[in-house]
Amino acid sequence: MSTPGISVLEGKYMVTMDLFPQQSKEFNQMHPFYEYLKEGRFTTTRCKDCGAEPFPPRLLCPECYSTDMEWIDWPTVATVIEVTEEMVGVPLGFGKPPLVHALVDLQGKRTFFIRVINCKQGELKSGDRVKLAVFEVDPVPQEVGRDIVEIPRVFYAFEPEK
Amino acid sequence: MTERNVCVIAGGMSKWGVREGSQRDFFQEAAKACYQDNPQLNPKEIDGLLVASAYTERTSYQTHLAPLVAEYVGIRPKNICARVELLCASGSSAIILAFGMIKSGQADVVMVAGGEKLYTPQKWEVFYSELASVDHDWDAAQGLGLPPPVFAMVAKQHMKQFGTKKEHLGQISVKNRRNAAKNPKAQFQTPVTMDEVMSGRMIVDPLTLYDCCPITDGAAAVVLAVEEKAKDITDKPLVYVRGTGQASVNNMSANMPDWTTWEALKIAAAQAYKKSKVEPKEVDVAMTHDCFTISELIEMEDLGFCEKGEGGPFVESGQNDIGGIVPTNTDGGLLGCGHPFGGTGIRQAIEVTRQLRGDAIQQVAGAKIGLTHNLSGFIAAHTVLVYGKEVA
Repeated sequence: MSTPGISVLEGKYMVTMDLFPQQSKEFNQMHPFYEYLKEGRFTTTRCKDCGAEPFPPRLLCPECYSTDMEWIDWPTVATVIEVTEEMVGVPLGFGKPPLVHALVDLQGKRTFFIRVINCKQGELKSGDRVKLAVFEVDPVPQEVGRDIVEIPRVFYAFEPEK
Repeated sequence: MTERNVCVIAGGMSKWGVREGSQRDFFQEAAKACYQDNPQLNPKEIDGLLVASAYTERTSYQTHLAPLVAEYVGIRPKNICARVELLCASGSSAIILAFGMIKSGQADVVMVAGGEKLYTPQKWEVFYSELASVDHDWDAAQGLGLPPPVFAMVAKQHMKQFGTKKEHLGQISVKNRRNAAKNPKAQFQTPVTMDEVMSGRMIVDPLTLYDCCPITDGAAAVVLAVEEKAKDITDKPLVYVRGTGQASVNNMSANMPDWTTWEALKIAAAQAYKKSKVEPKEVDVAMTHDCFTISELIEMEDLGFCEKGEGGPFVESGQNDIGGIVPTNTDGGLLGCGHPFGGTGIRQAIEVTRQLRGDAIQQVAGAKIGLTHNLSGFIAAHTVLVYGKEVA
């Protein structure tokens, strides 16, 4: 893989140009989120002391400042509040326009601003239901000792529930 | 201990737009314009420098920017020399910090310079870099880079809840482009008609081309000074920073408390009004963050210039235009001037300073109190400053 204009970067991985988060335990203590995601589960952390369920998942409870957190499952089906379609400015890596965005109610847990995939232009409407959709993204070529090991990754969007 | 009051004593900006040149070129142009605004200012007397830039590492591959700017604009700060970053509100954040430095006696004369080189040799990169502007691991990975989808969602909900019309948004675009056409430093030099605005190409429904501010290169600079020195350095009317506020209540979209009432803006505004001993009805001129037309409309409501949900009729009756209750974005705003992130809060300070000095291009007669407002990130932080012809 060559990098035009910067020949020394041929074949090199650049974290500063990566669309997706680091998901290995070496680079992210929230790595269980992605491991559960591979099982089709949408999770976050709950504080064992005060019961708060912050999202994104984290080490420190933002309500009572405890670090005694546990992983819990959240719903994987949400209801569309509003939908819009991005025709111009879709960043590289997110397909051809339109990029469908929706504001969804995750069964009272949070209002999420999510990407909707497997959805035709004009298909999605307020009140429709969408479900979690997990897909593979580029693995990270990570140094392990003297070797480069490809760490598989996934990410999520939602898709119409049919 | 005598109260230390803080004044703006000079301000200037480079030409903004799709520019030939580098980040460091634009900072020199802005400094030159700032020095020319007040020939009595000896740049060697500037004892502090704060530089506002958000994308310097991404689009110019340059960190440690403040000493570089100091070197290029010929100043030798001895009390502070650092960069401030809060994306679209970097400039106004730096002004707040300069204000605090001077107020507390840590510095006497501070330059605040801000700007960006956003256009790169291949344009895809700036869109891609925008993915760093929100929570990268969660929101950006959903494809939320450039902000139009977020503001489109806000507009849709405001329309649904309050009956706001696309024409209300269009009126803001027409006003700000008309104002920009009179400002030689603005990116856009031509006005647009309501017909052109309403038939603009779709970006993200309901936002069309003229609802969105452009991508912009450029820089701006102001100099703040303690009142005692300011009196010696300028013969122009003094303009005081009266009070400031900055608030954040969430970062990731999932934690946004309300999409059509911006809680952090209300908090920041309440702080700024309280510290400056000003009420919304006393504001004579405002520069608000019109990154999108819907933003200016909601800002009219949440800054207290009209009731919640009344932004549409307020705009329709011209209350945010010259001759109205609070002439807004008299220099063209972001929609007309463009938006080099770190430069915007400083551009706003320059226009408010001119309005209060009485030498603005489109002067609001008798303006005594001016306000600036920035929002940044995923509508995640709000910054409000109140300026006046007199101290608070």
